[in-house]
Amino acid sequence: MKEEKTFQKLNKEQRFNFYGASHFLNNQNEKDSGLQIPFEVYLQDPMVASEDIGFGFDEKFYVRWEPGLSDGPTSARFAIVDYNSDTGQLMAPAHWNAKEFEFTKDGQPLNANNSDSFQFHQLNVWALLQNALNFFEHGNGLGRPIPWGFEGNRLIVVPHAGYGKNAFYDRESKSLQFYYFGPSSNRVYTCLSADIIHHEFGHAVLDGIRPYFIESSSLETAAFHEFVADFTAILIILRNNTFRKRLVELTKGDWSKAKQLSFIAEEFGRRVKDRPYLRSADNKLRMRNVRGKIISPHNYSQVMTGAMYSILRKISEAYMGENSKLSASQSYYLAVDRMQRTAIQPLDLLPPVDVTFRDYALAVLRAEELSHPKDPNNYFGLMLDVFVQRGILSRRDKREQLESRYLYYPVRMQVFHDIDRLSSSRAAAYRFLDDNREVLFIPRNRDIVVADLYRAKKYARQRRRLPDQIILEYIWREDLQLDDPKYGQLNGTTVSMLCGGTLVFDQNGNVLSWFRKPGTESIGTRKAQKAEQRAGKARQKSFLKEIYGLVRNGQLGLADEQRAASIARRLPTITAREVDGRMQFHLSPHINLSDTDHDKGERQWEISS
Amino acid sequence: MGDKLLIRTFDVEVGDCIYIRIPEGPDGFHILIDCGSKGRIALLQRAIKQLRSILPRGSSRNRRRLDLIIVTHRHADHIKGFDPDFFKTIEIGNIWLSAGMNAEHPQAERTFALHDNVRGMVQDMVHQNIALGPVEEDLLSLYGIGNDGAVEALKEIMPNRNNIQPTYVHAGMSSKDDPIKLSLKDTVLHILAPEEDIDGFYLGKEADESLRQLEEFSTLFADTATTDPNNQPTNVSLADFQKLQSRMLSNPLAFAESDSSIQNNLSVVLLIEWKGRRLLFVGDAEWEGVFKEEKHNGSWETMWNRRRDLLGQPIDFLKVGHHGSKNSSPWNPNKDETYEVNQILDAILPLPADGEQPRAQAIVSTMRKPYKSIPSATLLAELGRRVYNVRNYKQALEAAGYDPTELPHFNQYEAHSIDQPQPLRTDLERILDGQGFVDIEIDPL
Repeated sequence: MKEEKTFQKLNKEQRFNFYGASHFLNNQNEKDSGLQIPFEVYLQDPMVASEDIGFGFDEKFYVRWEPGLSDGPTSARFAIVDYNSDTGQLMAPAHWNAKEFEFTKDGQPLNANNSDSFQFHQLNVWALLQNALNFFEHGNGLGRPIPWGFEGNRLIVVPHAGYGKNAFYDRESKSLQFYYFGPSSNRVYTCLSADIIHHEFGHAVLDGIRPYFIESSSLETAAFHEFVADFTAILIILRNNTFRKRLVELTKGDWSKAKQLSFIAEEFGRRVKDRPYLRSADNKLRMRNVRGKIISPHNYSQVMTGAMYSILRKISEAYMGENSKLSASQSYYLAVDRMQRTAIQPLDLLPPVDVTFRDYALAVLRAEELSHPKDPNNYFGLMLDVFVQRGILSRRDKREQLESRYLYYPVRMQVFHDIDRLSSSRAAAYRFLDDNREVLFIPRNRDIVVADLYRAKKYARQRRRLPDQIILEYIWREDLQLDDPKYGQLNGTTVSMLCGGTLVFDQNGNVLSWFRKPGTESIGTRKAQKAEQRAGKARQKSFLKEIYGLVRNGQLGLADEQRAASIARRLPTITAREVDGRMQFHLSPHINLSDTDHDKGERQWEISS
Repeated sequence: MGDKLLIRTFDVEVGDCIYIRIPEGPDGFHILIDCGSKGRIALLQRAIKQLRSILPRGSSRNRRRLDLIIVTHRHADHIKGFDPDFFKTIEIGNIWLSAGMNAEHPQAERTFALHDNVRGMVQDMVHQNIALGPVEEDLLSLYGIGNDGAVEALKEIMPNRNNIQPTYVHAGMSSKDDPIKLSLKDTVLHILAPEEDIDGFYLGKEADESLRQLEEFSTLFADTATTDPNNQPTNVSLADFQKLQSRMLSNPLAFAESDSSIQNNLSVVLLIEWKGRRLLFVGDAEWEGVFKEEKHNGSWETMWNRRRDLLGQPIDFLKVGHHGSKNSSPWNPNKDETYEVNQILDAILPLPADGEQPRAQAIVSTMRKPYKSIPSATLLAELGRRVYNVRNYKQALEAAGYDPTELPHFNQYEAHSIDQPQPLRTDLERILDGQGFVDIEIDPL
C-alpha cells in the first residue's frame, strides 16, 4: 500500500472541490498534496535509456488527476485505443485503480518493472501527452485550453497501430497513430519515444489552433507544421527536470555538447536512417538552401528549427555570461522557461491561413515586445539578427523592426465596438468585422467567416500575468479558375485562395497585433487600401506559382486517386480534392516522420499494377 | 510478305498483345508477346482471331503456326487472353516465360514468399469486407484466381498440347545459345531482364527484412497480447472506431503494391537484333532511381548497370512500357541529363541534332481507363521528340471530325500535349481508323 497523500484522503466531493480550486495552487503544491500523480515513463526512448541510465526512466513524472480518469488510459482530452491494424486485435487497456491512484495490469502497477507490457506502453504515451498538453495550455504557452482540429474533444491515441517505420497525426480519424518496426532483437515502438510523441502531438496542437493551415498548397506552410512539431519536442524534453539535470551533468553548460537535445528522435533516426538523428536542430541552414528546391517539408523545416534552436542557445549562453552567479543548470532552466514563451506564445498571433516562416519570425518579435517591453539586454535584437542571418527576414524587415514602434497598432475603427461585446460571441465578432471592412481591408462583397475567437491568459517572466489577449481570426475565400494546360490534372478546375487575418486585442480593446493575408479585390482608393490590394495580387501570383510547382514536381496527388492513402509510400506532400465544386488543397493527410526527399519526379505516385 | 519486319499491336485497351513477324526462312518467324488486358476478354478473343488469320499454315489445313510466345510477366493485362480455347488451332513452337514466373527458381524464393504472404493478407482483407477505392480494388484483383487459369494454360495445358516445355528466361540468354536457341539466320533475340538473381536485384534486403519483421510482430501480438473479448473499445464511439480502422496504414495494401511493382520489374525485356536494327520490347519494366546494390531496384537501372553493352546504344523501335505510365519509361523531367535514369533514355532514344530526324519508332498500347493518369501525355510528348513515327493528335482527330476535347479527362491529362507530336497510341488510333490494331514496319538497315 502506497503512502496516501492529502488529496487521496479526501472524499469524492472534497476531491472535486480541491481539483476545481487547483488554479490557485502552484506546481509544487499540487505535487505535495497528491493532486499530481507520479508515474514512471521513459525519459526519451528505450535506446537512449539503455545507453545512459541518466536518460533512462523518469520516476517522478507527474500528471494531474482528473475526475474522469478511467481505463485506457482515458482522460478528458485523450482516449488510448490500442488497436492493431495488422492483427485486427484490440489490446486490453491499462486499468485505472481509482483507490490506489495508479494504472495497472493484472493488478500490478505499471512502471519500469513491466515496461515490456503493452499496457505500460499505453500508460507511457498517455502520460507524456497529458504533460505535453499542459505545456501548451500553460500561461507560458498559449494560456488557454487547446481545441482539436476535428469535431470532438478526445484525441484518439493508438500506441501499436501496426508494423511500419512511421507515426502520424490524422485529423480525419481524430487520431495519433504510432507504428513499430525492427527485428526481434531490436524492436522499436514509436509510442515509447518522447520525441516522436511530442512531434506528432505538435501537429495535433497546431491543427487545433490553426485548422486552416492544413488547407494549404504551400510547402512552407507544410514545413511550418514540421517546425512546430520538432521544436515542441525539443522544448518539452528540456522542461523536464530529470532530463535537464542529466544534460547539465554531461555538458557543463556547453551547448555544443548537447546532442541529446538537438537530435530529434534518436532511436527512430538510428534505426531507420543509419544516422544518429532524424533532423538536427543545430544546423546553419538558410532560406536559400531550401526555397524553390524539391525537398520534403521535413527538410525545409530545418531552417526555422535551426533558427529557434540558435536563439535558445544564445539566450542560455547570455544568461551564463551576464551573471556568473547563474549555474549551468539555472541558465538552462531560465532559457527554457523564456523560450517556451518566445516560441509558443506567438502562435496565437499568426494569420489564420498560409503561414510563412517570415510571419512566424515577425510574430516572435511582436510577442517579445509585448512580454518584454523593456528588454535591457536586447534579446529582441538577438532574435532579429538570427532571423536575418538565416534569410527568414530581409534587411528591410530589420530596418522596419528597429524603427520606433507603437505599443498598440494605430488602427482607428470606423464603428466602435466595445471589446466585451465584440468578444462575447462569433456573431458579435462578425458584426465588428463587417462594420469595419474598409479599415480592416475586407472586400465588401465577400462573406467572411469568424474562424476562431478566444481569450488567453498568458504569462511574462516569473509568472507575471500579461493583460488578457482577445484573439479574433477571420477568413474568406477567393475562387480562381485554372485555365492553362501547365496545371496538368488541375487544369479546368476552380481553386480557392484563402484570405483573412488575425487581430489580437488586449482587454481594453487596444490592437496588439494584426497579421493579414490579403485578397486581390479592390477595397478602396486610399493609399493603404491600394497597397493591400497589390499585396493580395502578389499573393495570388505566388499561389499560382506554387500550384504550378506542385504539379511540375510531382508533389501533388488528387484525392480521388489517392484512396490508397493507406499505403504509406504513396502519400503525396499535398493533396487536392474536390469540395463543393472546387479543389481544396490539403497537406498530406498523414503527417508522418519520414524525411525522404523523393527523386522520382512525377512518377512517384503512380501505382504499379 | 516482303522483306520488312512487322510489329502489329492489337488494340486491347490497357494491355499488351503484340505480334511480330520477322522475315526469316520461307514464311517468316512469328512471335506473340503477351496477350492480356484490363478490359473485356472479348477484345483478346478478337485479337487472337485476327492474329490467326495472318499466321502461316501449320501441320494441317485448318491449323496455324506460331513460332514463339513470350510472356513478360504474370499480370492480367499481359496474360488474361491465354485461354487454351483461343489457341486450340494454333500450333506453338516455343513458350518463353519470365524467370519471375518460375516458383521453383532458387533465386526468387523470397520474392515468391512475399507474393504468397501478400496473397494471404489480401484474402484476409477481402474477408474483412473493408470498403476500398478503385485503385485498391485493382491492386487486390491481382491476387484473385482469375490469373491462375492463364498461368496454368501457359505452364501446362498449352505446352502439353504442343509437346513442348516452357522455358523460363532471364537476362544473359539469347537465341544463339541453349536453352533458348533458335534457328534464325538474320536475327538474334536477347533477354535483357530480369536478372537471374531476382531476390538480390529486385526484392532487395529491405523489403525482405520488413516482411520478416511484420510476421514476427504479428506473431508476438497474437501470442502475448491480452485481447479485449469484444474487440470493441469502450472509450470511443463505434463510428469513430470504424473511421479509425479505415484510416490506418494497411500493410496488406503496401506489400501488395510493392509486390506488384516487383512483378512489373520481372518483365522479360526483349531486344531483337535484325539486319542492323535494334527493337526493344520492355513489358512493364519500371525504373526506381539510381541503382543500388542489394536494394529494391527497378528493371531499367539494373539493365543499365548489368547489360549496358546491349542496352546502351540507340534503338530503332520501342514498345513503350506499362501503357505509357511514368513509372516505366526512364525519364525524370525534374532531373538533369546526368541523372542515371535520364542517361538511359538519352542512350536508347537520343534527341536528334538540329535538322536531323530521329531513327526510332514507338508504339503505346493504352487507354485512359481505369487509371486517369495513364498514359502520361507529357511523357508521350517527350518520346515524340525522340521517335519519328509520330502524330499530332489534335490535328489528326480534328481532321477525322472528332473533337479532341471530348477525350476522357482532356483538360487534366491531354490538353498540354495534344498539339504536340506523340508516338502512335492504340487508344487514339482506334478513333482514327478502328481496324483493331496498329502496324509498324521496320526496314532492314
